[in-house]
Amino acid sequence: MNQTPVPGGSLVPIALLWLLSGCASTAIDEQRAALGQFSTAQFSVKPAWLNSEIDRQQARAWVDALLQQPLAEDGAVRIALAYSPAYQALLADQAAASARITQSARLPNPVFAFERLLREGSGSRELEINRSLTLALLDLLTLPRTLQLADLRQRQLQLQTAAELLRTVTEVRQVWVQAVAARQRQEYFKQVMDAAEASAELARRMEAAGNFSRLQRAREQAFYGDAQSQQVRARLNADTTREELVRKLGLDDPQQQALKLPDHLPALPAIPQEQSKVLQAAINDRLDVQLARAELNHIAKSQGLVTVTSYVNGLQLKGERNSATGRPVQKGYELEFPLPLFDWGDARREEVHARYLAALNRTAEVGVNARSQTRQAYAAYHTAYELARHYQDEIVPLRKAIAEEMLLKYNGMLIGVFELLADARDQVGSVIGALDAQRDFWLADAALHASLLGQPPSLAGMEAQAMSVAADRGAAH
Amino acid sequence: MTNRRQFLTGAGLAMAAASVSPVALARLPELVSRDRPDTMPPLIPDSGQTYNPVVTLNGWTLPWRMNQGVKEFHLVAEPVVREIAPGMKARLWGYNGQSPGPTIEVVEGDRVRLFVTNRLPEHTTIHWHGQRLPNGMDGVGGLTQPHIKPGQTYVYEFVARRPGTFMYHPHADEMTQAAMGMMGMWITHPKGRHPLIDSVERDFCFLTNAFDIEPGSATPRTMTMLDFNLWTLNSRAFPGIDSLNVRKGDRVRIRVGNLTMTNHPFHLHGYEFIVTGTGGGPTPKAARCPEVTVDVAVGQMVQMEFLADEEGDWAFHCHKSHHTMNPMGHDVPNMIGVDTRGLAEKISGLIPDAMIMGDKGMADMQGMEMPLPDNTLPMMMGQGPYGPLEMGGMFTVLKVRRDQKAGDYSDPGWYAQPAGSMAYEWTGEAPATERQPGPDSDPQTMQVRKPGAQMEHH
Repeated sequence: MNQTPVPGGSLVPIALLWLLSGCASTAIDEQRAALGQFSTAQFSVKPAWLNSEIDRQQARAWVDALLQQPLAEDGAVRIALAYSPAYQALLADQAAASARITQSARLPNPVFAFERLLREGSGSRELEINRSLTLALLDLLTLPRTLQLADLRQRQLQLQTAAELLRTVTEVRQVWVQAVAARQRQEYFKQVMDAAEASAELARRMEAAGNFSRLQRAREQAFYGDAQSQQVRARLNADTTREELVRKLGLDDPQQQALKLPDHLPALPAIPQEQSKVLQAAINDRLDVQLARAELNHIAKSQGLVTVTSYVNGLQLKGERNSATGRPVQKGYELEFPLPLFDWGDARREEVHARYLAALNRTAEVGVNARSQTRQAYAAYHTAYELARHYQDEIVPLRKAIAEEMLLKYNGMLIGVFELLADARDQVGSVIGALDAQRDFWLADAALHASLLGQPPSLAGMEAQAMSVAADRGAAH
Repeated sequence: MTNRRQFLTGAGLAMAAASVSPVALARLPELVSRDRPDTMPPLIPDSGQTYNPVVTLNGWTLPWRMNQGVKEFHLVAEPVVREIAPGMKARLWGYNGQSPGPTIEVVEGDRVRLFVTNRLPEHTTIHWHGQRLPNGMDGVGGLTQPHIKPGQTYVYEFVARRPGTFMYHPHADEMTQAAMGMMGMWITHPKGRHPLIDSVERDFCFLTNAFDIEPGSATPRTMTMLDFNLWTLNSRAFPGIDSLNVRKGDRVRIRVGNLTMTNHPFHLHGYEFIVTGTGGGPTPKAARCPEVTVDVAVGQMVQMEFLADEEGDWAFHCHKSHHTMNPMGHDVPNMIGVDTRGLAEKISGLIPDAMIMGDKGMADMQGMEMPLPDNTLPMMMGQGPYGPLEMGGMFTVLKVRRDQKAGDYSDPGWYAQPAGSMAYEWTGEAPATERQPGPDSDPQTMQVRKPGAQMEHH
């Protein structure tokens, strides 16, 4: 009577079921491997998973060493992917999502119920012990399909995280370009300000000596005032973009103090990327196309499952073994399922059908837009390249020639020093234009690379989709 | 002394290339042109009446062909390149290879026939400024004759009735063609002795000319009204203007014609001279004005004469001081008196090689040899025996030497000042300057009060 009855059946089927459900950590490892492959292939950089304090210390040491030198673009990307807390959070979210998908494909555990009832009355003592083992039968029957769907979801998660990586890398590249350009710009605006300052000071002295009127001096001083405001704004812009980069890389105070940006943006490539090569990049390899197709695939595969569960949303099998005092053991089974009387599941079927149509159209949309997006990104890239080349090869040398000729004229006392300084300001202005064009080229370059790989959607949508897997199967009883 | 044959073979001349058909040219006088800007020796006449020929500064006299008693000249109007001064060449329009064109010298009473060939891109005419002639020979395009189209040759024929100094210049699109440098001198010598025209040993002539040439370029801007930057005599600017070299004791005559847009007061150092004639002819002797500076208005010719009896190097120039400067910036602010300490480093930090100039005046400009735009003359040039001359534009020197040979117009070099006749620096003790004490205040002295001002004097 005090024995604990052993539930019926052997341990083996249970073990088999456990194995079939898949291992959560294996899935996460697969995710990591896939992401590492993608990242190495596209960017030659591997993300790092900092799981322990030791990992974090090592990463910190490595980042500190890298920050001893001026930080190049690939260095910034490496820090972002292998050190920055923001990206580590994304990676952890990826692991959580993967675990959730794995969870969603797990069979609910069989429920063992033990009931011990005692009736004690006048001299009689009745002990009743009921044991039962409940199994979610429908889940067991639909397990193969559920596993398949979970695999598809894992694959989708891989694509999602690849897209997230692409977005992070593109943003880091663009922020880095902005920071370096803003710093360079600040230097040039300072030069403009210095030239204006020399004019203003000379004008002030000329007015003091009686050679300039108040109006003439005020005009020169006004140029100086304008140049000062521009320089101050440029300084703020440099500070702002630098802080954005610091945030993207997740550097703390001593690290951001050590951060040195290069003096110049990288030089323009001799030849821009060929348009034909760009447009022929396979549509099917794009992340957005792959994602849309995976979603469509998943919905298509889940349609059958939903059809079944829309009629019968739960099926439970209960095995019972009851024993009572003085009575023989009672054994039996119970089968439980909801009847589709009030809810015959047509809404759910309609829903999944509509979602399928939506996914189908989205896939079509993405496929159609892919070419157009690529063309647009290439046009922006090529124009930015032409402009940057134009400034570098034509406008800046012309301005330099003008400045040289102006100096010759000044030597001959054909122009005065104010005109010479004003022309020097114009010359620096053209250099600033060249710098802006160069910066725009590198921004367009990062955007083109991102566009060729496929536009990344947001990670938040992924979690909602993971939830819907559980909804497809219905609440387990 | 050169005659025409020597002149033709010795001087660097070019025969005209054919843009006019050789058949048509066959009966014209041969085309003589020059491309060197030197002052040519006077052209002694080898036919027709004799006269004492003039010397054209940085120019020459056009030879003629005698054809049955008629002096035939051949002028060709064409684009030319003229060296304004060493280091600067200008693309101008002129006659027979140069701007200005060659001087035409004839004698009173000569019948002249002038063949004018037009090699310009547009039509032209030649007006014989100041001369008495038949109306149809006056050369005013549209009014007295049809224009000479490019490629055509027209013939002007008249008698040189009046002795004197004249000019010739286009009268078609006149502003452009004059701004491009088309003009020339015409001298009619008197027949025999003239009661009002003395004979002289040295007779010089030149025209004034002004251009606006952007520094770094070579073609003048023809639409400029006032803001010229190159002022020239015979299209030459100092130090490109040859000197007037005379022998002590010579009687000298200088003839000036003005075809710029403004008047020029010509000043001769060391002498008073007499204005003996204008474009209208020789002036009566009693009416001749002595002058040291004679103002030549636009379109006027002036003759001045003097006896060169003072030796030395005497400056002779237009007295408008900016006409004796080569191109300068008209808007450059004046830096005199401005404290520029500390600014020079700042500016050369921004613009290497830029120096602050002009805070002590402009004389430093000539001292510093600084690179200039191409084909641009420095504002001030010229080296004399005692230092920089700091001149440009319409400036030249009259050099009077006792040992200058008659008929020799070559440059004798600088004048050696005799001892004791030159300004020198005082190096002895300067006497103490006594300060005048102020006047004692005197209660009788009137105190001046401003009307209306209620001010208290203490």
